[in-house]
Amino acid sequence: MRHVAQTMGTVASIELPSEWASELNAVERIFREVERRFSLYLPGSELSMIADGRLSLSEASDSLLSSYSRALEWRTATGGNFSPHRPDGAIDLNGIVKAEAIEQAGAQLTAAGCPQWSINVGGDILVSPTSGATNVATSSSEPLRAGIADPHNPTALLCSLELRHPRRAIATSGSAQRGDHIWRGGSTEPAQFVQVSVVANDIVTADVLATAIVAGGQDALDGVSDRWDVDVITVDRLGALHATPGLQSSLVRAQIT
Amino acid sequence: MRTRAILGSILASASVLIIGYQAGVSVTTGDGTSLTLPVGSTTSESVGTTADSRAISGPTDGTYTGSSISTRFGNVQVAVTITSGSISEVTALQLTDADGRSVQISNRAAPILRSEVLASQSAQVSNVSGATYTTRAYLGSLQSALDQAGA
Amino acid sequence: MTTHTSTRRLTAQPLDVAAVADYRRTFARRARRSDLLVMALWASGAAAAALFLASGGASQFTSLTETITSIGIIAGLIGTDFILVMLVLAARIPLIDAAIGHDRAIAVHRSLGKPALYLLLGHGALLLVGYGMATGINPIAEIGPMLALPDMPLAFIGLGLLIAVVISSLVAVRRRFSYEGWHLIHLLSYVAVAFALPHQLSVGGVLSDGTAQRIYWIALYVIALGAIVTFRMIEPIVSSLRHGLRVSAVTAIAPGVTTIQFSGRALRQLGTSGGQFFIWRFWTGRTWWHSHPLSLSAMPTDRSARITVRALGEGSAQLGTLPVGTRVSIEGPYGLFSAAARTSPKLAIIAAGIGVTPVRALLEHASFAPGDATILLRASTPEETYHWDEIRAIAAAKGAACYEMIGHRPASTASWMSAADVDRGVTLATAFPDLADSDVFLCGPTPWLDLVEADVRTAGIRPHQIHSERFDW
Repeated sequence: MRHVAQTMGTVASIELPSEWASELNAVERIFREVERRFSLYLPGSELSMIADGRLSLSEASDSLLSSYSRALEWRTATGGNFSPHRPDGAIDLNGIVKAEAIEQAGAQLTAAGCPQWSINVGGDILVSPTSGATNVATSSSEPLRAGIADPHNPTALLCSLELRHPRRAIATSGSAQRGDHIWRGGSTEPAQFVQVSVVANDIVTADVLATAIVAGGQDALDGVSDRWDVDVITVDRLGALHATPGLQSSLVRAQIT
Repeated sequence: MRTRAILGSILASASVLIIGYQAGVSVTTGDGTSLTLPVGSTTSESVGTTADSRAISGPTDGTYTGSSISTRFGNVQVAVTITSGSISEVTALQLTDADGRSVQISNRAAPILRSEVLASQSAQVSNVSGATYTTRAYLGSLQSALDQAGA
Repeated sequence: MTTHTSTRRLTAQPLDVAAVADYRRTFARRARRSDLLVMALWASGAAAAALFLASGGASQFTSLTETITSIGIIAGLIGTDFILVMLVLAARIPLIDAAIGHDRAIAVHRSLGKPALYLLLGHGALLLVGYGMATGINPIAEIGPMLALPDMPLAFIGLGLLIAVVISSLVAVRRRFSYEGWHLIHLLSYVAVAFALPHQLSVGGVLSDGTAQRIYWIALYVIALGAIVTFRMIEPIVSSLRHGLRVSAVTAIAPGVTTIQFSGRALRQLGTSGGQFFIWRFWTGRTWWHSHPLSLSAMPTDRSARITVRALGEGSAQLGTLPVGTRVSIEGPYGLFSAAARTSPKLAIIAAGIGVTPVRALLEHASFAPGDATILLRASTPEETYHWDEIRAIAAAKGAACYEMIGHRPASTASWMSAADVDRGVTLATAFPDLADSDVFLCGPTPWLDLVEADVRTAGIRPHQIHSERFDW
């Protein structure tokens, strides 16, 4: 069954067998918790209070500090292309908490024993470890097919590919759909890539690196593909595509459908 | 006799070096990478029509497969498609290698044609990954249609 | 000094103009070949560097890291080229032997050893530094990632073997080994060369698949290793089987000196020129592992040949007791101590001790007009006058002057002559009135021969007229 819910300024779409529907409450609780703590749109969120100066970082909750330190590590690893700060200096954990929420929700479902699931929050998708696994015990071992939206036509697909264990996560970042929602180090140049999709073994890596490549352009793309075990497909401003070899091999081929 | 041997050696060595240098300059492109284009011998993969006879100068249209270049990070081989005398497409044919380091470096994204992903556009999918949509944008998105169908 | 020929001249004899022109032409041809070989040697080194330039190397000097890496690659190419040239020089290729002679080929081979090793060590060090800089780690730490590349462990082993080979060949170290022990280590250079090849073809970008550079490089390897296999393995085996040499007689002619007679088939077809040497191996249980470079002491007939051996080393001492019928394998003939080296119709020959053996064959084979050859035989004691009777007879028959000089060298001054003759005022000029126009052939133990050679040079004889063969072992 499929469950759709509004959260974190976007829509979450969760698919799981009907008999596990009771787990949806736990998942929604995780999303609400994250929103309450990290949303800069909710004036009363913990992060808003820190941004306003009403709350000092030293008094912040452990989960906020843990997300913040994880984001700072990613900032170092990506050479600043990913950053948990807005240009005005305020801490903005938007780039990481959504992925963290998906990660937690997925862990919750797996811990509860749900055999087959997928979570899509605003276009960032994580599937159960059983996806595409060749385990006889699991009823279905079909890999999940995810489409990548065409940045120039939101109702059409650019391509589609299979998510199978261990490549369980895909995240897409763009510079078009919500304006320049990615800070690009104060650069006023239009982003080189209008859309970047990263397929990785975990959703935080996929999300952060997609963001980093949109921010850093070609250099970041080369750096990411050199240093992380991920697959990437990009669409540049002229509409031309670049893809890593791994991504090309996971494309759904016509004969499979 | 010694003088002749010395002079001859200098001359021979110098000319060999100059020939090598000249040969090197002709294959070096601006960014320092080098390609070997067997111009005139199209490969079996030739796509596009051959240029008409007016195009005497410039490379002939078609797809050229470069030689496989061994690098410290593994073998790299590219194919170049030339249309109307200019390079229209560079495709990596061989980028991976067995050892881990090679894979990392040659894992770099290379240009691909839309036609190469065309087949996968028609696949049945249950989820769409796209740049984060707002609640409002979601309603017009493909994901919303899928969610309605799947609900 | 005594003379055994009737004529004793003190003035130079006029030269035969036509014959002189003939020898000049022959010599000019050989000199041309020799010069071409020198040019080929240097050009091959330049070609190795050109391979790098031809694959776009000229643009790879823009940063310090790139420059270090590029120089490292060039060093590796030139170093490997030198190693291959060394193999070619050690392969005893007839063409090279005829042009510069075995001794000079080996001398050049030796002189290339250290430069080649330094280049290859530099290759390794520079690439570790260059690659280390590119990835931001120190050169020692770079060894790890380097070894992870395909074929690199083999290349490291190859370099290690090469270091062992060169060290074992340093004069000081080489003395500690028997010739066989040293030779065994030296054979490792083939393994080193073979081990180095895969990484050149797989890791290096210069010699990548489908390039002319790769074809050239593989061709170099094929030529070098092919020459070794052809001329040091196949050719000797074929020649040994074809001629079927066996020991037919072993005769002691003086204390510690033995003539060994051989029987065989079609021995004239060996194409021996008087004075050349062969590398002999005697197939008995005690001696098969020992090879002996020895000159023929007489021109071979079609069915027999002869060498004369003095027990100089432990290996040659055993030859005095070889049983008749022992199978013998040979490599050769080699060397330019023969008519092939001549530049003039006139001959001046000086030989000491066992050094008479090649001279005896040379004199027997050489063509000269009566009165155009002078030979001086030298011994410390009357017991060391091996084969002098034979040489006297040949000299008399062919019209050569033959002098004999017996007696120890003077204790006070450095002279190659006997003390008595020095006192009598004998000089090179009095013994060899035609010296300036002659080819000088010298054969004897190294310290003695160095003195003769110095004397000959002082007399104004040019290097290409001097042909020496020394005993070292």
